[in-house]
Amino acid sequence: MFDWSSAIIVFPRIAEGMKITIYIAVSGIVIGFIIGLVTGYIRTTEYKLLKKIMGFYVWLVRSTPIIVQALYIYFVLPRLLDIPFDRNLAGIICISINAGAYISEIVRGAILSVPVGQWEAGFSLGMNRLQVITHLIFPLAFKNMLPALGNQFIITVKDTSILTVIGVAEMTYQAGQYAATSFNLVESYTILALFYLFLISVLSVILNLLEKKMGVGTK
Amino acid sequence: MMEVRHLKKKFQENTVLEDINLSFKNEDVTCILGPSGAGKSTFLRCLNLLEKPTEGEILYEGRNLLDNQFDIRQLREEVGMVFQHFNLFPLKTAAENIMLAPRLVKKMGKKEARKCAETMLAKVGLADKADAMPSSLSGGQQQRIAIARALAMQPKMILFDEPTSALDPELVGDVLSVMRNLADEGMSMIIVTHEMNFAKEVADRIVFMADGRIIEDSAPGQFFSAPKTERAKTFLSRFLI
Repeated sequence: MFDWSSAIIVFPRIAEGMKITIYIAVSGIVIGFIIGLVTGYIRTTEYKLLKKIMGFYVWLVRSTPIIVQALYIYFVLPRLLDIPFDRNLAGIICISINAGAYISEIVRGAILSVPVGQWEAGFSLGMNRLQVITHLIFPLAFKNMLPALGNQFIITVKDTSILTVIGVAEMTYQAGQYAATSFNLVESYTILALFYLFLISVLSVILNLLEKKMGVGTK
Repeated sequence: MMEVRHLKKKFQENTVLEDINLSFKNEDVTCILGPSGAGKSTFLRCLNLLEKPTEGEILYEGRNLLDNQFDIRQLREEVGMVFQHFNLFPLKTAAENIMLAPRLVKKMGKKEARKCAETMLAKVGLADKADAMPSSLSGGQQQRIAIARALAMQPKMILFDEPTSALDPELVGDVLSVMRNLADEGMSMIIVTHEMNFAKEVADRIVFMADGRIIEDSAPGQFFSAPKTERAKTFLSRFLI
């Protein structure tokens, strides 16, 4: 049933794909986090026009499947803008934009969860808005958002697998290519699943350590 | 130093303050008393614009806070506030709570700010708590740190919004004694409180509010022994003093 020799052949190919998976996931998480911070913060403010634009962005991303977003960014945008997109670049754009929208909601919720008394205490001491946000609100919000943020990071890593539809040579693509040409479906997809389990387990350990360090769950 | 003219505050259609006129002198201790829902806290919060008045003027040293050109941070640097629920910064130690605003707003150096924090902590009787986290302190200690935090900005006046209402009864005394010392040193204070004995002994002036209006404005001796209005009499009859 399980053919070890073909498993040994597919293993290095998926390992090769893991480099791309990690490269795109890390880029997507970093850029998505920055987009999420800015967007989430703006949506808690009174800047009406910016809020509308950011609200539109979140609506657009959340209302379409990520697979459609990937197809659109790789196949449609280059035709509209008349510039060719590299697959990996399209992948990073897709993952960043998608993660950014979800993270912005996490950030918005975390900022709103900080008691209004913290803003008032800061303002009543003569601090300006930026000082209150960076020194008082953000540290508290970050602690509050960490569990949800970690969850989103895990989802984002797994979302890179859909980039196989635009031919990004990440893990799922590598496994699929080998499975299609060798018909060793069992081995290919079992090893692939084990790779994701490994990757996400490592990420979970890192996230747990971070939560501990930030004192999540304590007052 | 501060004068309020025809102040009005509405939340949507609900009028909370109606035509308030008051002036506050330097070094005065004013206690604002009244039943809950009278608008006392809202009035106090209007004085440093945590609440934006709907109409009227608030003059601070002759300038109107509600002018668009007026930088409210300037007033907030000079007029401190102490809240019912302390509002300490939970991720910072007691000393860091106190140092933050002097460092950011007054651009004080780290060493100097630390020294200032220690002085202020000693002043409120918590010299040994400089490195304690707020969550490890009692409510009374947290409130005294909140007072030290306001004092570190060297304010000309401090607003107290029911500073002892959230405390266990046995912790109230420590906070009141710190406030009493401040009054003795000549700090200008406006205090919304339900502590009748404190008001009687420490205040220079009692403002009695009900239904968004000022009903009485008199010296404590006068107010507590011979209130002029029925409303104040009924209010006082609920307190055994």
